[in-house]
Amino acid sequence: MQPLLAIALLTWRAAFRFRLFIVVAVLLLLSVVGLPLLIKDDGTARGFTQILLTYTLGTISVLLGLSTLWLACGTLARDIEECQMQMVVVKPVARWQIWLGKWLGIVSLDAALLGLSGACVFGLLEWRATKLPPAQQKVLQNEVLVARGSARERSFDKDIQTRTEELFRAWLPKHQGATKPEIEEVHKAIREQVKAGLQVVLPGYSSRPWEIQLGSASRSLRGQPLFLRVKFNVADLSPSATYYGFFRAGIPKKTQLWQSPVKSMSADTFHEFEIPPDLFDDNGVLTITCGNPNETALLFPLDDGVEVLYRQGGFAANFIRGLGIILCWMALLATVGLASASFLSFPVAAFFSLGLLGIVLSSGTMAGAVEEGTITGYNAETGQRGFSIFDLVVIPTFRAVLKVIHLAEDFSPVDSLSSGRSISWTQLGLAFTQIVLLLSGVVGLIGILIFNRREMATAQGTS
Amino acid sequence: MNRSLKKILLGGLAVGLLLGVSFIQNSLNRDRDALELTRVEPLENAPPVLAFTTVALGGFRGLISNILWIRAMDLQDNDKYFEMSQLADWITKLEPHYVQVWLVQAWNMAYNISVKFTDFSDRWRWVQRGIELLRDEGLRYNKNELLMYRELAWFFQHKMGANMDDANMTYKQAWANEMASVFGKLRAPDLDELIHPANDDQRARAALLRDKYKMDPEFMKQVNERYGPLEWRLPEAHAIYWAALGLKAASENPSKVKSDDLITLRRVIYQCMQMSFQRGRLVANPFAKRFEFGPNLDIIPKTSEAYAQAAEDDKPNRDHILRAYRNFLRDAVYFLYEYNRIADANRWYRFMAAKFPTDHVIDGDRDSLASKVSLDDYALSRIQEDIHDTPRDRIKGVIEGLLFNSYRSLAVDGEEEHAYGYKMLAKKARESYMSRIGSTREEAISLPPLNEIDQEVRSRILDPKEGAPSEIRAILRTRLNLPSESATPTTNAVPVEAGGTNAPAAP
Repeated sequence: MQPLLAIALLTWRAAFRFRLFIVVAVLLLLSVVGLPLLIKDDGTARGFTQILLTYTLGTISVLLGLSTLWLACGTLARDIEECQMQMVVVKPVARWQIWLGKWLGIVSLDAALLGLSGACVFGLLEWRATKLPPAQQKVLQNEVLVARGSARERSFDKDIQTRTEELFRAWLPKHQGATKPEIEEVHKAIREQVKAGLQVVLPGYSSRPWEIQLGSASRSLRGQPLFLRVKFNVADLSPSATYYGFFRAGIPKKTQLWQSPVKSMSADTFHEFEIPPDLFDDNGVLTITCGNPNETALLFPLDDGVEVLYRQGGFAANFIRGLGIILCWMALLATVGLASASFLSFPVAAFFSLGLLGIVLSSGTMAGAVEEGTITGYNAETGQRGFSIFDLVVIPTFRAVLKVIHLAEDFSPVDSLSSGRSISWTQLGLAFTQIVLLLSGVVGLIGILIFNRREMATAQGTS
Repeated sequence: MNRSLKKILLGGLAVGLLLGVSFIQNSLNRDRDALELTRVEPLENAPPVLAFTTVALGGFRGLISNILWIRAMDLQDNDKYFEMSQLADWITKLEPHYVQVWLVQAWNMAYNISVKFTDFSDRWRWVQRGIELLRDEGLRYNKNELLMYRELAWFFQHKMGANMDDANMTYKQAWANEMASVFGKLRAPDLDELIHPANDDQRARAALLRDKYKMDPEFMKQVNERYGPLEWRLPEAHAIYWAALGLKAASENPSKVKSDDLITLRRVIYQCMQMSFQRGRLVANPFAKRFEFGPNLDIIPKTSEAYAQAAEDDKPNRDHILRAYRNFLRDAVYFLYEYNRIADANRWYRFMAAKFPTDHVIDGDRDSLASKVSLDDYALSRIQEDIHDTPRDRIKGVIEGLLFNSYRSLAVDGEEEHAYGYKMLAKKARESYMSRIGSTREEAISLPPLNEIDQEVRSRILDPKEGAPSEIRAILRTRLNLPSESATPTTNAVPVEAGGTNAPAAP
């Protein structure tokens, strides 16, 4: 352990000696302090806080990410190129310890810089929040500077499947002559019909009751307001692009139901509003219905049509967990930088690492190609897709690469923090497992293996 | 030559050349424009950051603008709007002369994003963002682009002025409140005091008008004289202002103007004048602490002229415009009659008859030419359109509504003529109904006498428990010459005989 820590300490010293720590720290602090002066918000305290969180944390991630990559490539590659590594490897310290020590040094350096800039962002937000009028403060504390959990209806997949099969079995004997494509089409139509029955709120009617199980969280939610987040689709576009709707919540047939005012809402949009506390029953089930006074049906999707948000914890712990996930990304970048520097010279390693980063950032293009099943283009209007012989190789490769990228990309701490969503310890643990243990572990292992087998005595690139 | 001297000479030469360029730059720009060597004019009044980015980024500006645009669309698809204002700012500043960029971004904020919010004050904020983007930034760099004026005018006319958006009343109230800070509260705007401010308050308000709302009070006065009188606290007046400013810009750069753009600007003007006629008068309701709207009858002559001019100018749409013109005249006559301005109503009725001699004035009756139908019959037919073939209770409801409006005009607006007009219409509505039912069913479905209905309505308004707010009741009692509530007996019935007022007793 001691050699490992010694190497980590040397990395720290090098960072200070090259003034990297100071420069990056100043840049980070400047971005945290300067951004609020430059950015244009939507005019609300909530909007300002959201944009501030997004831009400062985004800038911190980019600055720190690039400096991490640069440092990781430089610290190993330049040591080798300048023959300092030859002096170290002859000491009683294993190569894997050198490699890991440098990684530990970079990651701990990142942790310090992230902690410093994160503390500034947090302090800035809290300080600005205290300057706001009480009503605005309340909005911030309830909707942004908070960790909100979410609850939705149970899955209806099995019910839909069962009902579809029932109806299909009833239909089939009466249509013996139907061709296979017709049968498939009918099966699909029956399924959509059953699904629509659960989603549609007809004009002039109330929806079926949505029963949201709050579970164990309900015990701590007594006396606290909840937030309803709804979204619906419509078939007929109204001239005003908005539709009326009102919501009821409470315990049916036991208590008087709470009813929201009639709201003017646009389709295909998430609408969020507060509902009074203590409307769920003893089992933690909150029952909600929607009244549709329009002349067109409203369709609330089963997956994200109705969601209840509730306070799960404070912002500070959530913020720390969010920074934790960002640190996991930095650890991965440090691993990639060190791994590439294990067999490449500094400029090539830096170029290689940035190239990899570019590929990760363009994963949307790959996802598009995988979705369309080809790299030669897809006509959405006719549904026709092109074909290339390369598709046979490229598409499976893209698919595999995307799976690897998603291991790191599936987490969005900045997004969660700016929308007041909870980042649970489980999520942080998962991020650590996927990004640090799995991805960094594999890449790091490859890097260590290459570094172990590298011949230090041969002439190096720039020496 | 000494190296230091050479450097100094070269430096001096560079400075001299830069100075020379700065002197001939304006002349070069004018030549570029005159010889049509460039599609766009160089940026004027641009902040340093914008000037730098537009020059330094060169062709890459478009690329960066596209990336930002894609991000904006992605965020919008995910219902994240807090960055939109910033992204729109960057996108438009990267392409400051690309008019469509300004128009799309402003439209997106005022129309697409605003309706995503259920809270009307949130919607208003986004409508304001759209207006500000065009008015404060877009026009600053594109002062001759008629489409910008047209779009800005459209936001006032349609987004704020029309009732398509459920939040339109919030917009109107908010705008009226903002304008009240420029023109003063609870009084008609006085443009002269803003053109020649005489005290600090007036100077501050004139500065607010120029700096924040980017409006010139002198030009406002010209607009008012040409198209008004306009109520500057309402959005229609501002739509007319920006459209008129667009026409002025067009007249200063005739070579760059498309005739279609001119037609759209003129259309905004006459349509807004029509809206101003219908509800272009602001009535402050101090009891409900909000504004209410009434028709602006003084604008009728100029609106009529604007329609006639538009029909001349826009040949392809002449028939549509003339139909709208005729409908406007019908409304004008009816409104004047309703406000008991019978002489004016008669004059405009004759004008309508002369202008559209072959058009019928009563819907569904093709023989009802203005020359054959009297003004009284025409006004009555307008009410009958609402109550035609309707049952007794519905007609009674209509009459009660007219009487209620009569008292409301008296109490809130202080308009005795209008109040009398409503009462006269109620009388005619009852007479028309009674003549329609005939004597055979009179006993079964006849209406009570008008004074009975009137007394019932008045009692309801003056009821201390269920009636109008106490301030309105007090004003109404004073206007009707009724005793004060404290002087009346415990019953809530209104005395038939008026006796005394609710004025404080003399000491």
